[in-house]
Amino acid sequence: MKKISLLSCLFACLAFLSCEDYLKENPRDQLDPEGGYDTPANVYLNTVATLYNYIGGFQDSQGLQGTYRGVYDLNTFTTDEAMLPTRGGDWYDGGFWQGLFLHKWGTNSDAIQATWEYLYKVVVLSNQSLEILGDLRRKTGYKDLDRYEAEVRALRAMYYYYLVDMFARVPLVVSSSIPVKEVRQSDRKEIFEFVVKELQESLPLLYTAHSNSKGDYYGRITKPVAYFLLAKLALNAEVFTDNDWTDGSRPDGRGIYFRVGGQRMNAWQTVMAYCDSITDLNYDLSPEYEANFAVFNESSNENIFTIPMDKGLYANQMQYLFRSRHYNHAKAYGLGGENGSSATVEALRTFAYGTDSVDTRFYYNYYAGTLYDPAGNVIRLDNGAPLVYLPWEIKLDLSRSPAEKTAGARMRKYEIDKTGTKDGKLSDNDIVLFRYADVLLMISEAKVRNGENGDEEMNRVRFRSGMLPRPATLENLLAERQLELAWEGWRRQDLVRFGQFTRPYTDRPQLPNESNGYTTVFPIPEKVRSLNPNLTQNTGY
Amino acid sequence: MKEKSLIYMRKILFLFAGSVLFINPADGQVLSLLPDTIKPVVPDSGLIEESITVGYATGNQRTLSGSVNRINETGMNEGLVSTPLDALRGRVSGVSIPAGGNSAAALAAVRVRGTTSLTGGNDPLVIVDGVFADLKLLSSIYPADIENFTILKDASETAQYGSRGASGVIEVTTKKGKQGAFSIGYDGSFGVEAAYKSLDMLSGDGFRQLAKERDIAILDLGNQTDFQKEITRLGFVQNHHIAFGGGTETSRYRASLGFVEREGVIRHTKTRNFTTKLNITQHAFDGFLVVDLGIFGSLLKNNNLNDPQKMFYSAATFNPTFPNHTSTETGRWDNTTTASQTTNPLAWLGVKDDDSNAHINTHLKLLFNLSKHLTITAFGSYTYNVIDNAQYFPTTVWGHGQAYRGERKIEALLGNLMLSYKKDFGAHQLNLLGLAEAQKSITSGFYTTVTDFNTDRFGYDNLQAGATRLWEGTGSYYEEPHLASFLARVNYVYGGKYIATVNARADASSKVGANNKWGFFPSASVAWVLTEEEFMEGASWVNNLKLRAGYGLYGNQDAIDSYISSQLMKPNGVVSVNGTPTVTLGTIRNANPDLRWEVKRTFSAGLDAGFLANRLILTLDYYNSRTDDMLYSYDVSVPPFAYNKLLANLGSMRNSGVELGIGVTPLRTRDMELNMNVNVTFQRNKLLSLSGYYKEQYMSAPEYTSISDLNGAGFHGGYNHIVYQMVGQPLGVFYLPKSTGLVSDGNGGYRYEVADLNGNGVSLEDGEDRYIAGQAMPKTLLGSNISFRYKRFDLSLQVNGAFGHKIYNGTSLSYMNMDIFPDYNVLREAPSRNIQDQTATDYWLEKGDYINFDYLTLGWNVPLGKLRNYVRNLRLSVSVNNLATITGYSGLTPMINSSIVNNTLGLDDKRTYPVVRSYTMGLSFNF
Repeated sequence: MKKISLLSCLFACLAFLSCEDYLKENPRDQLDPEGGYDTPANVYLNTVATLYNYIGGFQDSQGLQGTYRGVYDLNTFTTDEAMLPTRGGDWYDGGFWQGLFLHKWGTNSDAIQATWEYLYKVVVLSNQSLEILGDLRRKTGYKDLDRYEAEVRALRAMYYYYLVDMFARVPLVVSSSIPVKEVRQSDRKEIFEFVVKELQESLPLLYTAHSNSKGDYYGRITKPVAYFLLAKLALNAEVFTDNDWTDGSRPDGRGIYFRVGGQRMNAWQTVMAYCDSITDLNYDLSPEYEANFAVFNESSNENIFTIPMDKGLYANQMQYLFRSRHYNHAKAYGLGGENGSSATVEALRTFAYGTDSVDTRFYYNYYAGTLYDPAGNVIRLDNGAPLVYLPWEIKLDLSRSPAEKTAGARMRKYEIDKTGTKDGKLSDNDIVLFRYADVLLMISEAKVRNGENGDEEMNRVRFRSGMLPRPATLENLLAERQLELAWEGWRRQDLVRFGQFTRPYTDRPQLPNESNGYTTVFPIPEKVRSLNPNLTQNTGY
Repeated sequence: MKEKSLIYMRKILFLFAGSVLFINPADGQVLSLLPDTIKPVVPDSGLIEESITVGYATGNQRTLSGSVNRINETGMNEGLVSTPLDALRGRVSGVSIPAGGNSAAALAAVRVRGTTSLTGGNDPLVIVDGVFADLKLLSSIYPADIENFTILKDASETAQYGSRGASGVIEVTTKKGKQGAFSIGYDGSFGVEAAYKSLDMLSGDGFRQLAKERDIAILDLGNQTDFQKEITRLGFVQNHHIAFGGGTETSRYRASLGFVEREGVIRHTKTRNFTTKLNITQHAFDGFLVVDLGIFGSLLKNNNLNDPQKMFYSAATFNPTFPNHTSTETGRWDNTTTASQTTNPLAWLGVKDDDSNAHINTHLKLLFNLSKHLTITAFGSYTYNVIDNAQYFPTTVWGHGQAYRGERKIEALLGNLMLSYKKDFGAHQLNLLGLAEAQKSITSGFYTTVTDFNTDRFGYDNLQAGATRLWEGTGSYYEEPHLASFLARVNYVYGGKYIATVNARADASSKVGANNKWGFFPSASVAWVLTEEEFMEGASWVNNLKLRAGYGLYGNQDAIDSYISSQLMKPNGVVSVNGTPTVTLGTIRNANPDLRWEVKRTFSAGLDAGFLANRLILTLDYYNSRTDDMLYSYDVSVPPFAYNKLLANLGSMRNSGVELGIGVTPLRTRDMELNMNVNVTFQRNKLLSLSGYYKEQYMSAPEYTSISDLNGAGFHGGYNHIVYQMVGQPLGVFYLPKSTGLVSDGNGGYRYEVADLNGNGVSLEDGEDRYIAGQAMPKTLLGSNISFRYKRFDLSLQVNGAFGHKIYNGTSLSYMNMDIFPDYNVLREAPSRNIQDQTATDYWLEKGDYINFDYLTLGWNVPLGKLRNYVRNLRLSVSVNNLATITGYSGLTPMINSSIVNNTLGLDDKRTYPVVRSYTMGLSFNF
C-alpha cells in the first residue's frame, strides 16, 4: 500500500504538482521574520527583549561580564588589579594570560577579535531591530514603538561605549544592510559624540524604574542606566575625545562641553549632573557592601544595572568564582573550581593586606589564608594539609614554585550560591555591572578634577565599609576605586584615565614605546582588517 | 527468458573458468562455481562478463567505460569482520576505511578518492539494493548477507547519481535466493581481543621514587596501580548468522538472521547488532513482470566510551599510587583535585553513553518487460531510522550529575521511474535509459538534559530524579529536505571494442537558494577494448586490454543545512519581560539566499589489462578533479554582518591521484595456489583558493585556519594550533615553529629551542616563526592481500599501509613535560630527559609511515566423507587481527585520524586507544 501511495506521489509530483512547490522549503522549527512581528507583544519580544540575551552569556567572549576572554577579561587581566598566573600545567594556555598581563596581546589575538565581533554583533542586531521598528512604524499603528526604538538605541549606544573605550577608532554602522566597502572607521571623538547623542535622545522615552529589581523592567535599560553611561562618557571624555592618544597630550575636561537639560556644561559638571539625576531616582548605598553581591541581590538599592541570573531560567553564567577558587575550596561547597585568577601584589598593597590597617573590603573581595567549609571545618588539600591561600606568593609564572597551586588571594565578592549548578557557574546572584558606589566615586572624581572638594562622596563610600576618611585626591581616588570596585571590570578604564595604564609594576615591565600610550586601546583585529581593507590599524600596532 | 540467460551466463563462466579459474564441475550452481577455498585472481575484475548493475544501468564490465570495482564475497576480508566496512578495508584502491568498527568517528572517515569538499558531502553514497542509504545503515548490515560491493569512482558512472554520488558510490547487493533446492547455512565466529600495548608511564613505585628524589610532595595512597590496564579487559566477540533460501523458476527467496556481539577491550563498552533480511523475487505473466521485494531490519545497540580523550588522558596520568577500588572510608572513588583536566579513570567508566539505532527498510521494484528491448521499472523504498541516545554522568565525575536523552527519527522516501531500451543492430549495441526520481527525508527529534541528581542509581532511566532542566538543554527540531532528479543515459558499444557512455543528469534540491535550485551535471566517457582488435590477435599472452577515459561534472549540496538560505528566527534565549521569564526569537546566523551547487569537474583515464591467461592482472587509473564554487563557511567582516561566518560558494580545490591494482598468480596447480593482490593509491590534494568576491562581497578564509589543536592541561588557547588549512597547500598541513633541539633552561631542565626563522626575534604567532613542516594526509595508501591454498587449507594475509604523511605526537609532548608532575603522571622516560616545556614545535612531529598486518586467517574446508550427502560444506578458520605494525612512529600507533578534516586530524593527542589484537575462530556450514 505504501509503495503504491509513494509511486502515486511520485507521479503526482512529476505530473501534476509544480516542482517549484516541491522544492520550496517550509520550515517548521524556525520562523519567517513576519511571524515574529505579528502582534505588538511579539514586536517587543523579538526586536527589543531579544537583544537582552546578549548582555550576559555562557560562551567565551560572549557577554559583557560573567564569561571568559571577553570584555571583562580584557579590562581586568590587562591591569595591576588581577592576573591569571601560570600554575605548572594549568593556565598557561599558550601564553594567552601572560600576554594579557604583559600587554603583549598582539594583533592576532583570538580573544580580542571575538570581543570585537561580539560587540558588533549586538550593534548589528540592534540595527536590524531598529529597521524593523521603523518599518512597523510606517505600516502599523502599534503603540509604544517610539519607546521600543529608544530602548534599542540606548542599548546600541552602550555597545558603542564599550567599542570607543576599547578600540577607539571604530566604524560607525547604523544600518544592517550596508556593504563592506562602505564600512569605514570614524575618529574616536565622532564615535563618542554619537554615543552621547544617542543616549541623550533616548532618555526622554526611557522608563525611570530601577532595572536591577525583579519586575516589569528587570534587566532592562532604563533612565538610570542611561544616566550612568552618560556620566561614564563624560568622566572619560578627555580620553574618548582624544583622536590621537599617542601624541602625549589630551583635551582638558574643563574645555569639553555637553548640553545637559538645556545647559552647557563642561565634562566634570556633566558627570555631576548625570550622577545627581541617578541620586534623584532614589538610589543609595546599601548598608552592607556584601548585600549587593548576595545570592538574592535584586533588592539592593545600590545596583543600577545587572545581568539577571537564575540557574533555572537563564543561560547566563558567572564563571569568575569558578575560575578563581582552588579545586578543594570548590569541592567543600559541592562545586567546581579552576584554581586561577588572583590579586596582584599591587592590589594587595592598595588594600594594605597583611598590615593592621588592612581595608575591610579586602575580606569582602578576596579569600586569603586558611579556608573553611560551610560547616566551619578547615578545608584540606588532597594530602590532608590545610588549604591556605598565600597572597604574597603571587607571580606571573608560578610553575615549580612550592606555592604553585596555592599562591594568590582569590576572588570572593559574590556570595557562594551553594545550590549553583554547572560547577557553580549557574548561580542566582545577579552580576553587577553598574552600581551607585561608583556614582559617588564619579562625583568625587569629577569635583576634584573640576577643582572642587570631593571628600564627602568618597568618604561616604569608605564609611559604609567602616573605613576612616581620606582626602579625595586623584591618587586616593584611583586607590579608592580599586578598593571599592575590585573584580568589577573597571580597572583598565580607570588606569587609562589616570594615565597609569602603561606604567611598569611587579612582573610587568613597560613595553618599548608603550609610554606613548598606544596600548591604552586594543588593536583592530588583523583578521577583521583582512576582510575589510578599509580599516586601518590603531597607532603603535 | 531467465533460464536462457542463465544458461548463457553459465556458458560464459565455463568458458571463462575453463581458461582461468579452477572450478568444480560437479557443482552445477552458477554462483557457487568457486569453491570457498579459492579466491579469484583479482576479485575486482575477475568476472568481467558477469552481468552487473551499475547504478541504474545494467551491463557487464566489458561494456562499461568508467572505473568500477567489484568485490565479491570471495574478495572480502576475513578474520574479525563485524561490519561490511571491515570486509572492504584495504581491498579497493582509492577507498580508505579506517579501523574502528562502526564508531561514528570511523564511519565519518570513510573516503573514496579523498576529501574534495571542505564542509560536507565527503561521505560516499551508499546504496543497498537500489535504496539510498548511508554508512550508518551499511554498518548495521550483517557482512555475510552481502553478495558483493561495487565501488564507483569515476564521474561517468557516479554521475548517474548526480549530486549524491559526488564523493563516490558504494553499491551493496545483498544475497538473493537461488533457484534450486532449499538450503540453509550457518556461519559464526568467536574471538577474544586484548590490549597489548599501552603508554609506558611511571609506575606507582616510580612515581614515589621520583617525588622523593626531587623532594616534591605527592599524595601517596600507597598503591601500585596501572590505570591503563585497569580500564581494559579481555574483549569478547561473537557473530552468528543463519541464512536460508530456495526457489523455483519463477520465485525465489532468501531470509537471514544475524547477531553480532562485541564486548570491547575498554570495560563497559559493548556493541550488539541484530539483523534480519528478507529478499523475494517473483516472475509473473510469462516474464512480463518481475517483482523484487526486500525487507531489512536491524537494531544496533552501543555502550560507548564517553570522551575517549578524557578516559585515556586520565588513565595514563592519574596518580598511580591510588587504589583500583573505591575508598574504603567514603565508598566513593578517590580523586585528585589538582589535575583538573582528568578524573579518576575508574570513576569515568561509570559514565553511561549508550545509543540504539533501529533501521527498517523496505523496497519494492516492479520491472515490466514491455518488449524484448524495452523495460520500465518502478522502484520505491521507505526507510525508517530511529536513533536513541542516552547519557548519564554520575555525581562522582560531574558536579550534580547530568542525564541526557535524545531521540532522532529519520524517514526517507525514494521513488523512481525508469525506462530502459536495449537493442543490438548488427555490430552496434545501444543501451538507453531515462529516469525520473524524487526523494525526501524527514528528520525530526527531541532531546532533554537534566541535572541536580541526588542519587546515581537511576542513571538516565528516570529523569525525574534530577531537579533541574536547563533551557538550552531541551529542544526539538524538524526538517524535510527534498530532491528531484532527471537522468538520461546512453551507452553505445560498437563491435565489442568501442564503448561510449553519456549521462545527463539534472538535480534540484530544496536546500539551495531559490534561484539556483537546479543543477545540470553531464558526463561522458569512452573506452577501447584493444583485445577485440584484429591486430591484437597475435598477442595471445594479452587476454584483456581496455583503455578508458571520461570527463564529468558533479554537484554537491550536502554542506548546506536545511533553511540556511533564508533568514529565519529561532528562540535565542530567555529574558525577563514584564517580570516574567520569556523566550525571545532572534536570527542566529547570517543567511545566504544565493547558495548554489558546489561543482566538481573530474577527468579520469585508466586501463584494465590481463596477461598470461589472467595470471597477471593490472588496473591503472588516473583522476584529476577540481572543485569550484566550493561551499565553505567563509569569514565575513563584522560589521556589517552580525555573525562572522557565511556559508557561500567560492574557492576551489584540486584532487588528483593514481590508483594501481595488480593481481598476480605465480603458482597454480590442482593442490596449490598462490595469489597476490596489491592496490596502491597515490593521492594529491591542493587547496587552490578560499577567497574572492561573492555577490560583490569580499570574503575569505583566514590565511591561517587551524584544523586541529592540542588540548588538555596548559593547552587551552594560545599556540596550541598544529594542523592548518592554508590556501596553496594540501588540506591539512603542519604549520609549526621549528625547534633546533633541546637547550638547558638553566635550572637543570631542558626546553625546546625555537629557531628565529624570519630573523626578527622569536614569535610563535601565525605568519611569524612558523613553517610548513609536512602534511597530515598520506600521499600513498597501500592495500595488499596474499592468499595461499594447499589442498583444503588456505591462508590469507592482509597488509595495509600509508606513507608520506606526518603525525604530531602531542601525547609525548604532554607526558614528557616534567612541569606536569606530580599533578599528572609522566612517561617513564621523562625524568631522565627532564624537559620542562610544553611549547608546541616541530620537535614532536614524526613521520607517520606504517605497514600494518591487518589479519592472518587460516582456513580448512573439512573433508565431509559420507556427510557429503547432507552437508554441502563445512569450514573452520582461525584468524589473528592486527598482527603487527611496522613503523618508525614513536607513539602508541600511527593509525590515528589521518584522513578526515576535523579537530583530531594528524594529531596523536592523548586520545589513542590501547593497541588491540584479536584472535577469532570461525565455523560455517551449509545444508
